[in-house]
Amino acid sequence: MPEINKKTLEHLADLARLELIEVEKEKFQKDLGNILNYFEELNALDIAKVVPMTGGTSLKNVFREDGDTVPFDGIDKLKEAFPESEHGRLKIPPVF
Amino acid sequence: MDIQNLTIKKFHEGLVNKEFTAFEVVEDFYKNIDKKDKEIGAYLSLQKDAALKQAELVDAAVAKGENVGALAGVPLAIKDNMLIEGAPATAGSKILENYKATYDATVIAKLKKAGAIFLGKTNMDEFAMGSSTENSAFQKTKNPCDLSRVPGGSSGGSAAAVAAHMALGALGSDTGGSIRQPAAFCGVVGLKPTYGAVSRYGLIAMASSLDQIGPLAHTVEDAAEIFNIIKGKDHYDATSVAFENKELSLSEMKNKVVGLPSEYFIEGLEPEVKTQVDEAIAKIKSLGLKIKPISLPHTKYALSVYYIIMPAEVSSNLARFDGIRYSPVNGVPRGVHSLAELYKKNRSVGFGAESKRRIILGTFVLSSGYYDAYYAKAQKVRALIKQDFNEAFKDVDIILTPVTPTRAFKFGEKTDDPLAMYLSDIFTIPANLAGLPAISIPVRSSMSLVASTPSLPVGFQLIGKHFHENDILSLGQMYERM
Repeated sequence: MPEINKKTLEHLADLARLELIEVEKEKFQKDLGNILNYFEELNALDIAKVVPMTGGTSLKNVFREDGDTVPFDGIDKLKEAFPESEHGRLKIPPVF
Repeated sequence: MDIQNLTIKKFHEGLVNKEFTAFEVVEDFYKNIDKKDKEIGAYLSLQKDAALKQAELVDAAVAKGENVGALAGVPLAIKDNMLIEGAPATAGSKILENYKATYDATVIAKLKKAGAIFLGKTNMDEFAMGSSTENSAFQKTKNPCDLSRVPGGSSGGSAAAVAAHMALGALGSDTGGSIRQPAAFCGVVGLKPTYGAVSRYGLIAMASSLDQIGPLAHTVEDAAEIFNIIKGKDHYDATSVAFENKELSLSEMKNKVVGLPSEYFIEGLEPEVKTQVDEAIAKIKSLGLKIKPISLPHTKYALSVYYIIMPAEVSSNLARFDGIRYSPVNGVPRGVHSLAELYKKNRSVGFGAESKRRIILGTFVLSSGYYDAYYAKAQKVRALIKQDFNEAFKDVDIILTPVTPTRAFKFGEKTDDPLAMYLSDIFTIPANLAGLPAISIPVRSSMSLVASTPSLPVGFQLIGKHFHENDILSLGQMYERM
């Protein structure tokens, strides 16, 4: 029965930049255990030779030369939208 | 002005025949919102000034005798994960509580050009994760057909707004059923277009290989009008595709074959759902179409595939929300000592439980050591599910199924067990995995029912071949004209 143990859960939370409280950790372990258990049904399939579907479209990527760009004119709107700024610089809480 | 019996089609006729003005109708809708929305909770924000200004422009054009399109002056509700410049876009989440969009989504720009009017932004499950709108960080939305029940999700606000005549049409988004399931629960029409038919630019991304924007409306005819405006190739969405297709005539439709996949007509169906879907099948048969049993053998694996691939893409798409970009998060303690700690605090306060659950699940299935066992495996089974449809579409043109195993459930009924909630999407998920167009249509139209004892609506689903929206829209329109 697959499960995510507490240490793994804490590691995943760290990777995802989330901080879980004890009660959340217990609930998530239980929920995720049930969900992973449900996924076991996929093991019944023989998929060794199946070509995976890697996205939603069957379009192929098309490339162009660098330089042919549409200029972005939204800088001022973005600056105005930022909650706090000083002399054109965007203010955030101290992180050092 | 009786807005209870209005459709987009009737509105356009009335507008060009000068029976009323767009301004009057928009005001009537706002009066109805004032009357009903405190109870129903469909809207998160209203943009009344902009709406009335736009209505005046449409009325001026009509007065001058100019030709106005089918959507001119039409009051729409927009799900709060789509960007309208200057308006809030919270995606139902506290992490975007103070965000105002700085540009228009492509679908919004197209609708603006067509003269459509946006009444407000509708409630949704946070970041479109949910099947009941109960995961909204802000409020509950009630099903207008029964206020003790959910409207479905994640586009619950949009479905409820249309059903309660607080908008003439709406936009929703559908990743695993989030347009079709609430449409079915609320008794309206909901279309999920082919993946690539409608640009996702300006839609807050949930799962990029599955998301599609689509219309909700009272009739298939109305949904088709909205779809025709929003569809098309867009420079800003590399997955979008240009395509044309014509509406089918009755004689062309009679030559089509409708397939019924045995895997969708199973034991777990609520009896009333089975009864009504059978009713829909009988009506379609009486139109002259051939009905054929088919099999989509990998259907039962769709839920697992979806709940591996979608959270993986979600964990990636939600990584950008840090409480610094877009919007500050209210209620975060100060005195942080590192950037990582700031991100953790902002994200932990800003995201709700379901979002965190799916981010962690997604991080897990993509992590080294587990990637092959889960994500890579799911991508292969997704290919098998798509192949099932390709095979079936060699013998049939349209596939008919129920939309949901049950009718609208009560609040709180499924909130303790995430898996039980996920199971409400088993019939809608496969069309997203395969990228196919699919529409939910009420079996019995509320607009033609005598509302003496209103009962909970049931929807049936038509799934078409890639970019064959015309097949399912044409059949749907023939059905509703019966």
